[in-house]
Amino acid sequence: MTDPAKDFVTLSVSVIIESLPFVILGILLSAIVQIWLPAGFLLRRLPRNPVLRRSLISLLGVLLPVCECGNVPLARGLIVSGLSVADSMAFLFAAPIINPITIITTYQAFGWNDGILISRIVGGLLIANLVGFIYSAHPAPQTLLTRGFQAACAVDPHAEHGTRTRRTLISFGRESAAMMPALIVGAGVAGLIQVAVSRNLLITLGSNPLWSVLALMALAFIVAICSNVDAFFILSFGSTFLPGGIVAFLIFGPMIDIKMLALMRTTFTVRTLVQVSVLIAVCAAAIGLAVNLVF
Amino acid sequence: MFFSRLVTRWKGLALTLLAAIATVWLGVTGQLGLYINPRYYAFTLIMAGIAFVLTIGALLVIPGPGEDDEHDHEHAGFNGPDGRGPDARDVDGAGRRRPLLAFGGSLTAVVIVAAAAVALLVVPPSSLTSAAVEQRSLNGSSNALANAGPPPGTSDDTTAYSVKDWAALIRQGASADDLSGRTATLTGFVTPDADDPDNVFYVARFVVTCCAVDAQPVGVPVYSPGWSSSYATDSWVTVTGAFEANPSVLSAATTVVRPDSLTAVDQPAEPYVY
Repeated sequence: MTDPAKDFVTLSVSVIIESLPFVILGILLSAIVQIWLPAGFLLRRLPRNPVLRRSLISLLGVLLPVCECGNVPLARGLIVSGLSVADSMAFLFAAPIINPITIITTYQAFGWNDGILISRIVGGLLIANLVGFIYSAHPAPQTLLTRGFQAACAVDPHAEHGTRTRRTLISFGRESAAMMPALIVGAGVAGLIQVAVSRNLLITLGSNPLWSVLALMALAFIVAICSNVDAFFILSFGSTFLPGGIVAFLIFGPMIDIKMLALMRTTFTVRTLVQVSVLIAVCAAAIGLAVNLVF
Repeated sequence: MFFSRLVTRWKGLALTLLAAIATVWLGVTGQLGLYINPRYYAFTLIMAGIAFVLTIGALLVIPGPGEDDEHDHEHAGFNGPDGRGPDARDVDGAGRRRPLLAFGGSLTAVVIVAAAAVALLVVPPSSLTSAAVEQRSLNGSSNALANAGPPPGTSDDTTAYSVKDWAALIRQGASADDLSGRTATLTGFVTPDADDPDNVFYVARFVVTCCAVDAQPVGVPVYSPGWSSSYATDSWVTVTGAFEANPSVLSAATTVVRPDSLTAVDQPAEPYVY
């Protein structure tokens, strides 16, 4: 094999091995929500006021040490259990940013410097709630989902037969059938892009107030690195980048990247994903620019 | 139809099993370090073990492809939420209504499983190569800087300094004067200097934060005209030598190691540094 081909395999396998534990954890948590908790356990406890409810849901991730790949099966589980699509999006996009490990590693990497940590948390929550707010106005939220996933939602998990263990195993088989092919494809595409696209250009652009934001978002998209460690990754480039670019990287990456798109495609239509990606990209860029102007 | 059902039901478990077995195998043979940082070994291996157990359990309870489901919803569940492409939203019910489409989807799934099997189990595990160095600007990352103090004083012991330590010092601006009299012993892979590949090469390592995806190359330049006739790019060497100003006019490196000894070595078990 030629060197780029070797690197492609190494990088893709590395994404698979790094993500697998989180995907499995996410599938397990999803099964716990659907099968082991009493029906409506979460939903009953949520406030009725939609804005308040979504804020609370977007904060749910603080309790869950799962990075973005694990949140996809969990968000699917929440939708199946009856949470609205818009509310689940608020969870899905906020959780990887406010999960405890992400907050700790971001703090370790940046401390309170340049408002990076605060901007990341507040910005992430704002965007997730905004996405939830916008989609809560959708007249037919079911059409945001793939047809296959709609069919799965039509089944009440609590009405299925068998012992809980059996249902957990069946749910594991079902969710792994959805997630694993997406993970493999996402890992392959991420590996391919990394071999094909030189990082040097993106990094050269990192010291310009506007371009740093856009270049680092592009970097976040192609690197597809786990939100638990992305702060260390971007820190390793040190002073090369402006803080706004770093904030945009840290907000955009956990929500949208090449691997996440593959995983989310199991659940949302292409149209939905394009809309959400553009919306989040615009918001993350705006926050990044604001940080560059303020600090 | 039998084929489609077989594939839609088992592809997820097949892929999970492949990934879990590959992870455990890499862990047992000490090659997990080619892909992830050692601090994730325990978590990764435990989750791979759990995945393995769950997969076996699921294989035991899931009805075979020849058996009819007693409840139809389970069927919808298996065929349904399954991802991308034609195989994604359309497989639901396609086994009955659109056999060709379902077959195409199943074929995609088989290709994915086969590709995963080849990548995870057939292709020999390998560290990143110099092709990745070109993509990621050598010493462009200041990761190592955080740990690098001022240039070592004459009384400081630098015998244990690694490629990463020296690269950090040089990147920080340590000149040949600052490092004069110092002897470095460095082990890393060979990657040519971008501007003067005939006379200068780098002894390089990848610094890995989480996994190979975020690997950043660091390296120390070595001045050794004609090196490429004896050492291949990406082969591993140990260099011992003193620092001096770079005699090469083409190379951008200011400080180089002039080797007293240069020997080929085997790739270490942990090729990356952390």
